Amino acid sequence: MHHEPSLAPSSRRNWLKSLAIASLTAPQLFASPAKQFAPTARRIIWLTQAGAPSQLELLDYKPGLVSQFDKDLPDSVRAGQRLTGMTSGQTRFPVAPSAFRFQQHGQCGMWLSELLPHTAKYADDICLIRSMHTEAINHDPAMTLLQTGHQIGGRPSFGAWVSYGLGAENADLPAFVAMISRPSGPTNAQPLHERMWGSGFLPSKYQGVRMSSGKDPVLYLADPPGINKTRRRLMLDDIAALNRLKFDDYHDPEIQARIEQYEMAFRMQATVPELADLSQEPARIYERYGPESSKPGSYAANCILARRLAERGVRFIQLYHRGWDQHGNLPSGIKSQCYDTDQPTAALLGELKERGMLEDTLVIWGGEFGRTVYSQGTLTREDYGRDHHPRCFSVWMAGGGIKPGYVHGETDDFSYNIVRDPMHTHDLNATALHLLGIDHTTLTYRFQGRDYRLTDVHGQVVQKVLA
Amino acid sequence: MPSIQLKPCLMLLCVAMSVVGANADEPLRFNRDIRPILSDNCFACHGPDESNRQAELRLDQAGDWDLNGLIQRILVEDEAERMPPSTSQKQLTDAQKILLQRWVAAGAEYEPHWSFVPPLKAETGPAVGLGLSHSSSAAIDQFIRAELQKHALKPSPRASPATLVRRVALDLTGLPPTLDEQQRFASEEAYETMVDYYLASPTYGEHMAVAWLDAARYADTNGYQVDRDRELWPWRDWVVRAFNENMPFDQFTIEQLAGDLLPNPTLDQRIATGFHRNHMMNEEGGIIAEEFLAEYTADRVETTATVWLGQTFNCARCHDHKYDPFTQRDFYAMKAYFHNVPERGVGDYSAHIRQNSPPFLKLSAPEVEAKLNDLRSQIKSINEQLAALTTLTTDPTQNATSDALDETATAERAKLNEQLTELNKQVAAAETEIPTTLIMEELSEARPTYILLRGAYDKPGEQVTADTPAVLPKPAVELPRNRLGLAQWLVSRDNPLTARVTVNRFWQQLFGAGLVRSSEDFGAQGDLPSHPELLDWLAVSFQESGWNVKQLIRQLVMSETYRQSSRHASDPSQESDPSNRWLARAPRHRLAAEVIRDQALAASGLLVNRLGGPTVKPYHPPGLYEQVVNQRDNPQATYQQGQGEDLHRRSLYTYWKRSVPHPAMMLFDAPFREVCSMRRSRSNTPLQALNLLNDPTYVEAARCLAQRMIVDGGETTESRVEHGFQLLLARRPEPAELKILTAAVERCRQDFANDAESATQLLTVGATQLDATLEPVELAAFTALASTLLNLDETLSKE
Repeated sequence: MHHEPSLAPSSRRNWLKSLAIASLTAPQLFASPAKQFAPTARRIIWLTQAGAPSQLELLDYKPGLVSQFDKDLPDSVRAGQRLTGMTSGQTRFPVAPSAFRFQQHGQCGMWLSELLPHTAKYADDICLIRSMHTEAINHDPAMTLLQTGHQIGGRPSFGAWVSYGLGAENADLPAFVAMISRPSGPTNAQPLHERMWGSGFLPSKYQGVRMSSGKDPVLYLADPPGINKTRRRLMLDDIAALNRLKFDDYHDPEIQARIEQYEMAFRMQATVPELADLSQEPARIYERYGPESSKPGSYAANCILARRLAERGVRFIQLYHRGWDQHGNLPSGIKSQCYDTDQPTAALLGELKERGMLEDTLVIWGGEFGRTVYSQGTLTREDYGRDHHPRCFSVWMAGGGIKPGYVHGETDDFSYNIVRDPMHTHDLNATALHLLGIDHTTLTYRFQGRDYRLTDVHGQVVQKVLA
Repeated sequence: MPSIQLKPCLMLLCVAMSVVGANADEPLRFNRDIRPILSDNCFACHGPDESNRQAELRLDQAGDWDLNGLIQRILVEDEAERMPPSTSQKQLTDAQKILLQRWVAAGAEYEPHWSFVPPLKAETGPAVGLGLSHSSSAAIDQFIRAELQKHALKPSPRASPATLVRRVALDLTGLPPTLDEQQRFASEEAYETMVDYYLASPTYGEHMAVAWLDAARYADTNGYQVDRDRELWPWRDWVVRAFNENMPFDQFTIEQLAGDLLPNPTLDQRIATGFHRNHMMNEEGGIIAEEFLAEYTADRVETTATVWLGQTFNCARCHDHKYDPFTQRDFYAMKAYFHNVPERGVGDYSAHIRQNSPPFLKLSAPEVEAKLNDLRSQIKSINEQLAALTTLTTDPTQNATSDALDETATAERAKLNEQLTELNKQVAAAETEIPTTLIMEELSEARPTYILLRGAYDKPGEQVTADTPAVLPKPAVELPRNRLGLAQWLVSRDNPLTARVTVNRFWQQLFGAGLVRSSEDFGAQGDLPSHPELLDWLAVSFQESGWNVKQLIRQLVMSETYRQSSRHASDPSQESDPSNRWLARAPRHRLAAEVIRDQALAASGLLVNRLGGPTVKPYHPPGLYEQVVNQRDNPQATYQQGQGEDLHRRSLYTYWKRSVPHPAMMLFDAPFREVCSMRRSRSNTPLQALNLLNDPTYVEAARCLAQRMIVDGGETTESRVEHGFQLLLARRPEPAELKILTAAVERCRQDFANDAESATQLLTVGATQLDATLEPVELAAFTALASTLLNLDETLSKE
């Protein structure tokens, strides 16, 4: 692949890079081709809700639907939207109003669902986007599009681009960390793919490092039984001594780079377990993040870990919470998902805010597409399902230079089509890069003769959502 | 050129020279000096793509263009007027501007793009005076030495026989040389014998297959969403066999692209067509079949174009290519070759993985067949009994007793039907025990193929028929207009690309980088060949040899260029060719993911070196799957680690799940195998260190290597250390190295003697039985030492 090493000049550059990682005073050493300007966000925490949470129950208030219960969605609204194979056999498309109530919150009066009582406390910090849209209608292509700018695998993920463009802030930690949690309730958890945090055609050092709280937070981090810290240190000294002899003989700069990588590995062995060990967090923190937070690997525990990573300068922290794919039994399923996520999400926002970190941390909450206003399967007032819907969905962002207490975009009365300020997933990515101080059209990498970028040939920075 | 510009020009000319090597007094060459500038900066708006062409200016070919106007536009001060425009994010350097000026002043001569011109075999002249040994490889050395001379560089001396044994063994088989091999090939005279020995080893085919599996995007799962298993390992084994039997590359091509269309195809020829069933396959509920059928066929077009033609056809899927002269029509005309497979766009999620995506081939499984025959004959006999019962109860002559008979018969019938159900179940179960492999077949009537507007599956435009790209030489008229004709055209002597792309890929495998570094892109945006005459000489020789792969590899490995030392100059900052483009030394670089693991298994004696068969599941970090896979309806929701031999097979047999590929493979730069990949990056990261230090794979290998040191390495610490060193690195340690290593053993021995429990713990890692006759403290000390050896830069590198 292009531009990647083992060829001496670039190795030397990498070698310099690895030396310089610790030094924020020399950011020019990370020079990627991207045009940079003063960022408002130093890092991103992306709370990815995998499976596509329903905008109708959570964020896109449609009071008028109550009177439309079980009436057919007018053809004029559906207007040729393709259907997934799961509802293409349905003879009717009966409107399912949300079973949950909405209420206004904060000074800004943002309408939010009763399912999000904790998040709602931060309404004045949130920028709610009700006009997101995508082309993809199935989970895998849609999540891949959201994360890599393309529906089919093979391209770098957002975090990998950021890692390539900006490098790491902390010498002892990777620039891009991904954490995954499964739903606590019995719901259909769509699978995820490594490509969603992979580096595509970028060198593999930019890929997201999977991390979890608990005993073995990073793959292969723990020394084998019988090898304690002293033994490991002495072994590494031997390896380094022998590698230096080799360097004296062969003068290959790649050898020096290897010595440095082994040192960084050793430092990670010290810093990462300390970082991932949540047992030292005080009891009030566990109370704040809710009952699931004491379970390693839960979304709530990952939120605590996300704050700790942010404190230590990890640039791109991505949580994936699975289980939002409610084709049936939506009300009970979404309740359970909100039980998993609402309180910890709010706790994370609150903690970032109190520590003054929300100012330069961009938090993004959302899934890969929306859900249909009509019911999939049997419809009652209390129970129904919703199919995939690419034409509109809602996400929210907070901090890092985003406009607080603001609702962007609007959908029609059925939350089916966007009537104002549409924002494509490419626009979301362009805007998030902008907040990091990167012009999305210039963060490129030459592959197969073409200068690729995260937003492909699309994407507009949405000025209206900037503070 | 206006004289007032002369002064700054002179200065800038020096820059230009150092950048592109075009001397001010040397005539410019369009392909070398001009096309790269125009392609990168201008073609996107003034190139082959008609729909986006601005100002009706087309700079990729000669025409009646106002080129002086062009020069004005690139030199003009006013930014709003200047080309390329600032919105393009492109900027010409001063050196580039001067080259363009010179080119226009000299008459703006165009050349056809270099890789579309048929390769010619240049005269190589006599190999005298160079001290070159091997005649068939001397040509390679002559081309390389000529360039070295031009750049005032000197070749490096030959590497030592010990270095070469390890280099050749790793390059040709992906395994380290055994002690016996090291001894046999310890002299310069034995080199040629050694090369032939490794070329004849069955492990050669396994190693060569890996790069081809990357190109073919081979994996064991479907890739999308739930990512269930698929069965294609019989195709993988076919590839290994083909390399081992030295199948000519033209035949290798034809059988994989169109084996089913050959007259009376053999079983093997049909298995070979699995090449183009390797693409990802979506089984997600609710997908639209047409949409994914369009993806699969596009993938076949793009993969074929990359692997054989070195062209980036993906750029012509939605519009004409921006840089190379391929139209969107070319893309869909190619698609028409691959669009006639009796396949479904959606996998059948409810079917057994062996039967979920026809067309597939059932392989022979005599035991299962026997079982099935037995079951079928039982079914037959029950059916006969049922028929007899029916005859009996409807026989009018038996009226008198019919009531009683009826009752007995009903009971009997029920019993038989029950047996029948059970037997049918057994038949269905037995049928899934027969291995299958995905293949290509051809519909008797071709599906219509349309140009898809903007590449969208539901926006068909004009209908097209199967055809090769218009800019390339036409296929011979007698060739059929189907996949077979396409394959034969790819390997015809008139095709300017296939042989070049192929020899370049093999060169890349041995030298770490291709003569064309962008081995996947021989187009306008790709790199130019460093040694164009050599590339062409190799390409034509390859064709003349009957596409003889082993002969080509032999030729490369026998060259003096390959046999050089890989030592860098003592002061790397003084090196004039740090990227080693001119090959004044042999390449030194990190080994591939598979080779690193296989080497550890081989040196420690753990490797189970058996060819082929179904995929295996070695050690894998627990919990990794469970986090991401769908638990509810996926039988592969948990990684079911294999046992015994499965833990220690070569890495090319490791289960490759696309959504969660083996993490160690990923850490060492293996591709995801979702799309075609022609080369891997070689990164150097802390996570690699953690993997090699702590993965049970390597801790177990260290213990077993330690065991070999103690059991076979004599009585002294030194001799044991030397033995381990030799097993892994194929050389004796230098005194300074030996000193560090023996001191380490002594330190660990003492340390573990004081902490016997830690010693015992270290020895528990891995499923391999512990040799209970060995003293735990001694074994633990050598295990720590072996781990050190497994982590040396030299161990991880080919030198």
